[in-house]
Amino acid sequence: MKPLAGFWLYTRFILERERIISAIWIVAMAASAVGFAAMYPSLFSTSTELSGMAQTMNTPAMVALMGPVYGLDSLTTAMVMAQTCLIWFAIASAIMNIFFVNRYTRADEELGRLEMFRALPMGRLANIAATLFCVLLLNVLIASLTMAGLLAINIGGTSIHGAFAYSFAIGAIGFSFAGITLLLAQLVSSSRGVLGAAFALFGLFYIIRAWGDMQGNDASYLSPIGLGLKVSAFYDNNLWLLAVLFGIAILITIVAGVVYVKRDLGAGVIPAKPGRKHASPLLKSPFGLAWRLTRGAVAAWAIAAVVAGAVYGSIVGELQSFLSNNAMMQQMVQGSDGGNSLVNDYITMLFSIMALLAAVPVINAAMKIHSEEKHGRIEQVYATATSRIGLYAGFIVIALLQSVLFMVLSTLGMYASGYSTGLLVLTDLFKASLVYLPALWVMLGVSVALVGLLPRLSVAIWVVYAYSFVIIYFGRMFKLPDWATNISPFGSVPQLPVADFNAVPLAVLAAIAVALTLVGLAAYRLRDLR
Amino acid sequence: MPVIEIKQLVKKFGKFTALDGVDFELDEGQVHAYLGPNGAGKTTTIRVLLGILRATSGSVSMFGKDAWKHSVELHKRLAYVPGEVNLWGNLTGGEVIDLMLSLRKPDKHHKERRELFLKRFELDPSKKCHTYSKGNRQKVALVAALASDAELFVFDEPSSGLDPLMEKVFQDIVLELKKDGKSVLLSSHILSEVEKLADKISIIRNGKIIQSGTMDEISKVAAGRSLEELFLSEYNGKEQ
Repeated sequence: MKPLAGFWLYTRFILERERIISAIWIVAMAASAVGFAAMYPSLFSTSTELSGMAQTMNTPAMVALMGPVYGLDSLTTAMVMAQTCLIWFAIASAIMNIFFVNRYTRADEELGRLEMFRALPMGRLANIAATLFCVLLLNVLIASLTMAGLLAINIGGTSIHGAFAYSFAIGAIGFSFAGITLLLAQLVSSSRGVLGAAFALFGLFYIIRAWGDMQGNDASYLSPIGLGLKVSAFYDNNLWLLAVLFGIAILITIVAGVVYVKRDLGAGVIPAKPGRKHASPLLKSPFGLAWRLTRGAVAAWAIAAVVAGAVYGSIVGELQSFLSNNAMMQQMVQGSDGGNSLVNDYITMLFSIMALLAAVPVINAAMKIHSEEKHGRIEQVYATATSRIGLYAGFIVIALLQSVLFMVLSTLGMYASGYSTGLLVLTDLFKASLVYLPALWVMLGVSVALVGLLPRLSVAIWVVYAYSFVIIYFGRMFKLPDWATNISPFGSVPQLPVADFNAVPLAVLAAIAVALTLVGLAAYRLRDLR
Repeated sequence: MPVIEIKQLVKKFGKFTALDGVDFELDEGQVHAYLGPNGAGKTTTIRVLLGILRATSGSVSMFGKDAWKHSVELHKRLAYVPGEVNLWGNLTGGEVIDLMLSLRKPDKHHKERRELFLKRFELDPSKKCHTYSKGNRQKVALVAALASDAELFVFDEPSSGLDPLMEKVFQDIVLELKKDGKSVLLSSHILSEVEKLADKISIIRNGKIIQSGTMDEISKVAAGRSLEELFLSEYNGKEQ
């Protein structure tokens, strides 16, 4: 039997199914990559501004966040752009690749769609080969468009090599996660499990990179993200690194293909074990059901919070040595309280990032009830003596728990690993982290309001999220207008310990959160369920 | 007082009218079969009855109370088996059954009934739900419903995934429910099953009830034709 029979037919089928989502990704990725780049020349018109930016970037916090700094001796606008933007587009690309591959492999298999195709005269490998081909095409298209756009706007320091390195680094990092997801889809027997494992690995690789880049050691090469960033776009342009990354991705897909052909359809390699015959008393209530459906996520995010806090905390010690080696930075922080202000600045940045991370499990918990509805599992629950508010309240309690848990655990993780430096005061850390709780609750409120009022548009929560992300990120580098900052829930949070505590915005945020939640619940109680 | 009383029920989704003035009654201790072609509005009717969808107009009551306003209270007295049973892949069948029973506030005999029906349907409760076939998922929902002490049972094509042996078990159980004075709303496509179990039949097409009556009355309408012939002509819309 020809293993690739039906490849082109299946490819056409995927392109047909994907044409809208992929078109959105292509346009959004290429347009924003070029659009952000086009903003840089006006931000850095003089060489003083460029070297000032280099100083900002060459801080431990920024390196941990965005990757290694290079070419400080001959900095160009394009280099600054690459060093501050590449990581974010690489992350977006990885997310796109993970979802794409999961959608056409394990998700289709779980829903029984793949079975229909396997019953047709189609080769065994046609499905995964076509999936890979399409996702590769998508990455190449985005990279080519980005490259063409960068050459067209031609900001200072642009070269063909540089534009290629930058654009295809985004594609290569993303594609490596397509390979990883393809392999995971063979090992794990549910699409949720595949996504969970893929994003967990992604987080791990990001942390390895952050740690390696901070320490300046070779650990970064062990992470596809770190490897891709080492391309040093617009400076060294190490194109061979992209070839290595691509080669690794292809190797992983070959392994995945071998596993796929050998296993049974529907099965994973990691076997399912028999479960309980009876439900534990904990499961026998609406809250119990909500807890059971989210407890895995609660545990995973709790671990992520401790690890993320500990990784960033381990850098606090470096701050001091960094300061003693850097005369200009010493000057900058002199007059205030010396080294402390650098630490404080680091703490504010750290917790704004932790709050953004914490928002993900909070949104997921608040949205979980909607995904249950979409999967047709909620109807039978409401056919029992369970009220809609009663069940949703369970998920809201878990979302609240997630918000507190993440901020507390990341704070403790940071304190534990940075304790030996003597620079951290636990109560100050807690103030700086818990101050973000009302903002997280607003995200919860927006989620509930969307589920209640506009369930079809509930993905819009991620637009709110992306906006907050941009605000926090760019707010650190540039002065943004106040209104732009303040309409993001995170933007109006007092930046402790650098700024003074102010209860007013927090009270306003909390009130907005409560109002949104109540409106959402009231609408959810009255609307038709799917 | 009828157990279910639906009067002039209209349900619209945007411009589309799914139910266009449906009348339906289920008397205590009876089995009322609800038939109609795919997409006619059977499941929509049931979902309005369960308070999952909100009626656009008309009245829907169970045990004399409004089905939307008092849904939580009323659901303690009914048990439901959906047409398409979607379960949580990482929970076992046994866990789902216990969860459903607990959410309905079970009586003290539910444990014995649970074991009894697990045995009658030959269902292994220790398997994770994602490993169950369609028929086995249906059995999970059936055991969860039957082990309760509900007064009203709402079955939406409950035997469509069952093998003939299990279909027989299900039919025996419905007859036992009837003997115990329970009321049953049975939506089904299996005509032999309907003929065997139903006291009353209602047929819905394009959101309207086009035929309703006792088995005897329906037989008279059939006027010598078999029930199957009658249904086929009704489904087609060629009135007699």
